[in-house]
Amino acid sequence: MPITILPPKFSHPPPPPQDISDSDSDLSSDDGGAHLDFASLGLPNRKPNPANNPLFTNLVTPGTLITPDPQWMRGHGTYIPPHTTHITSSLAGIITRTNKLISVSPLRARYTPEVGDLVVGRIVEVQAKRWRVDVGSVQLASLPLSAINLPGGILRKRTETDELQIRTFFAEGDLVVAEVQQLFQDGGAVLHTRSLKYGKLRNGLFAAVSGVGGGSGVVRSRRQVWTMEGQNGGGKMDVILGVNGYVWISKHVEQVAKELEQKHMGITNMEENVSAGVYSSQNDPIDSDTMREITRLRGVVTALVENGCRVDEDMVIRGYAEACEMAMLSETGPEDIYLGGQRGEELTRALRGN
Amino acid sequence: MASSQHVLLSPAELSYLHSSLSLTPPLRPDGRSPTQYRPLSAETGILPGTNGSARICFADGTEAIVGVKAEVEKTKRRWDDDTIFSENNHHQQQQQQQQQQQEGEEENEGRNNNDEEGGSSDWVELTVEIPGYRDDDSGTVFLGQMLSEALLADGGFVKRLRINRRFHWKLFLDILLISPPLSYPLPLLSLTTHLALLATRLPKLKSEGDEDPFFDDDWAAAPYLYARDPATKRVAERPPVTLLVMAVGGNIIFDPSKEELAVADVVLAVSVGDDAQGKGEDRMDVDGSNPGRNLKLLSIRTVDPPSRLTPPGVANAANSAYGHAQVVNTGANQKMPEARQTESEAVEGVWKPPRGGAKAVVMGALVQKVLVRGGVADEVLDALEGVDTS
Amino acid sequence: MPLDTSTYNLALLRVDGRRWNELRRIHAQIRTQAAADGSSYLEMGHTKVMCVVTGPSEPGPRRGVAGAGGGGGGGGAGGQSKEAEVVVNIVIAGFSSVDRKRRGRGDKRTLEMQSTLSNTLAATLHTHLFPHSQINISLHVLSQDGSLLAALINAATLACVDAGIPMTDYVTACTAGSTSTYAANDEGADPLLDLNHQEEQELPGLTVATLGDSDKVVALVCESRVQISRLEGMLAVGVDGCKQVREILDQVIKAQGQKMILEGTVDKGTGLNDMDLD
Repeated sequence: MPITILPPKFSHPPPPPQDISDSDSDLSSDDGGAHLDFASLGLPNRKPNPANNPLFTNLVTPGTLITPDPQWMRGHGTYIPPHTTHITSSLAGIITRTNKLISVSPLRARYTPEVGDLVVGRIVEVQAKRWRVDVGSVQLASLPLSAINLPGGILRKRTETDELQIRTFFAEGDLVVAEVQQLFQDGGAVLHTRSLKYGKLRNGLFAAVSGVGGGSGVVRSRRQVWTMEGQNGGGKMDVILGVNGYVWISKHVEQVAKELEQKHMGITNMEENVSAGVYSSQNDPIDSDTMREITRLRGVVTALVENGCRVDEDMVIRGYAEACEMAMLSETGPEDIYLGGQRGEELTRALRGN
Repeated sequence: MASSQHVLLSPAELSYLHSSLSLTPPLRPDGRSPTQYRPLSAETGILPGTNGSARICFADGTEAIVGVKAEVEKTKRRWDDDTIFSENNHHQQQQQQQQQQQEGEEENEGRNNNDEEGGSSDWVELTVEIPGYRDDDSGTVFLGQMLSEALLADGGFVKRLRINRRFHWKLFLDILLISPPLSYPLPLLSLTTHLALLATRLPKLKSEGDEDPFFDDDWAAAPYLYARDPATKRVAERPPVTLLVMAVGGNIIFDPSKEELAVADVVLAVSVGDDAQGKGEDRMDVDGSNPGRNLKLLSIRTVDPPSRLTPPGVANAANSAYGHAQVVNTGANQKMPEARQTESEAVEGVWKPPRGGAKAVVMGALVQKVLVRGGVADEVLDALEGVDTS
Repeated sequence: MPLDTSTYNLALLRVDGRRWNELRRIHAQIRTQAAADGSSYLEMGHTKVMCVVTGPSEPGPRRGVAGAGGGGGGGGAGGQSKEAEVVVNIVIAGFSSVDRKRRGRGDKRTLEMQSTLSNTLAATLHTHLFPHSQINISLHVLSQDGSLLAALINAATLACVDAGIPMTDYVTACTAGSTSTYAANDEGADPLLDLNHQEEQELPGLTVATLGDSDKVVALVCESRVQISRLEGMLAVGVDGCKQVREILDQVIKAQGQKMILEGTVDKGTGLNDMDLD
């Protein structure tokens, strides 16, 4: 079936029915004729009075007064109008309180970097002493030349030669996995790759989904990186869920793991053990079974996001198992890796059912 | 021709994509089969103020809206064609014969005026709007050209716009891409245009012959531009549709996403239409063993794939930042100009952009694949027919 | 084109059957577009508008195409500025009006609306939170039946809320008019709320945008001649209309939030009165 056409998700409303009873009621009410058609918003069985539903008490919209009490401190997503102490929401989102700090986390927004976040980014610009990296945030992050492990096997000083050949480490378009090291006052992030876990990405596929900031997408969790077994004859796969919503799924390469073990010998040795492959842009040979499973896993991640699910280790692993089962039941067997459209919906329905 | 937009991908990604797409069967990043389109949602008749409209959203979030408006316009005639009575036909035929002898502009004129059933290509005005791009941007103009040449290719479409010998409909097709162009929008725009034209209705003509036209006010009575068979409710002849196909390795892939385009060897935009001829015997066995419709090739354009602009990958052997020992001879490596690396032998796992032109065999195979009976084009047309256009 | 709106005095009903203080039917949706940061679709009567917001994001060296359409630069020079630049781009579809009329990018009216929108939003969005970046607002007009600028402002507000861009409050807009023409010089002319195309052609009118529930006017556009004595009434009716519009838009956003909470996509949060920690 080369093409599937689904009915529109967001249907334009039919022209308003010129209902006689409706216009009668308009005449009897005196507050202007505008009313909202809730049925067309796709809201199932609206509660009689949603304002009273305890689930919704922390839902605020821009301009909503949260508290006039000056004992609270305002955090992200709020502001205090001049000459008042009124903490007011500036976003549509959910109130979160941490001790005395009140903030509003948006229903959806771009990724906001925080120190320690593991991110996947794409180099978009090379400058004299730093790279500018797209991490899906409001600003480009920067990766200074001084924040990477230089190749050479010895702890060495950064030289002018390194600056001149900055492109041999990372060039435009390259994908890197890095950690947010520091934040500027204006929200800009500085990254570093001074660990064996970080560096240039290869042997795999990239997927961009929305990141932390509310709504579906990658969430901050205990583990953002893990290795999992491929089913149906595929080898081991590495999954990197960047907190910013950029996801990298690749073939697992043993060499890196060995060096990770060596890392424990001592932190000072770390630099010496810089993986030979850190700056390589040559893929290792990958067998087609592993490639297929990598594609399947990528399908799982995009299906989760398309259907409004959170993406974390647990969901991805369960989703992958479910997808393998679905493939087994289908006509073409494990070759069937398509998880778009209705198949994705099936998948997430099965996951939510559990 | 005009290049599809550039995407930024790393050499490792490009190499991976290329090798996974070159497998048999190819592994596409989103798991589709080689002939499969992205899932889409479609609806028509969304804008009551137009003669026909349609909206299509792909699952990846790209969305387009097409609106069709028709106006009555006086047909431009030549100086010697100022009478409309049949006695003049004789004169016209003579004229035509003379022209045929002279050759010259015979074809053009014949289509414009003398042919009783003919029409002119300027009866259709097609505009494409892509957010963030100027309307005179080369990419936008090229898209518009591809879409309109498919419509005008065989002159069959403009014939439908004829009212009588003095008047015709002028059709304005406005094609809006609502979302930012995430992938090359040609398939989306073509499908949406197709649907909008299917849903287009023109007011019912009440006047007769060559008098000034006037129309029935009743919209419900307005006939479709593409007439439905009253018995089966099916559209007899259908607007053209433009398919984007690409070849990579030995595989042919339909409706490529932007990542796939970035590693394409050849990209073609192929417009196909229903062939009106030979339909008679086909339609007989509509429900049974219909092997597919007769497809007619309307136009082919090559689209310059962005893969040619991508930087090549650097093999480990040539990478000064690779390995432990290499740093010693950094100096030597540094002097190695990049140009020499690009010309070096292909290394497994290293991205090498396609060079040179497309082979005629590949082009032939691509077109063949599109035109195959009961193939993708057929199924796309069938699926579009399933959309409610009433 | 002489229109007949003079029957108003007989039944106190307008050409489309509304009374003086009635809005047309407003229908709105957010998140209509999966790929965009924020998106919305808004209908005010038969005026239909779509909005897609991209950003805030830093315009990279390669992405230079965005501003080329000549959007009104409102919030600053962009690039290295301390505030985000709000770039508005309006596409009026050729099929949107009754007679097909194609407006190029350089159309003066479109440019003016772009700059009005850009200035209005730049004043309300908290652009200082996003230095060096750009907020791209792309609007598509699908169908026009009066109050176009107001519909554009409302749609842009919704899309910005959807994109999670902090703002002081909703900016909502509405049009107001007067029941008789300037030439009639009628002292007893009533103000009218939410003009449709026909009324807009014939009667004096203005577009007013206010900030949230307050009476703060953030944009006021009047392009017709009207006696100063009538202006106050028109403005009062318009501001009142804006508040009604705000209620409607707020419901749309809340409905989306409630849907997300019910689906478990977002937490229900911890409010001030939740005693779970301290």
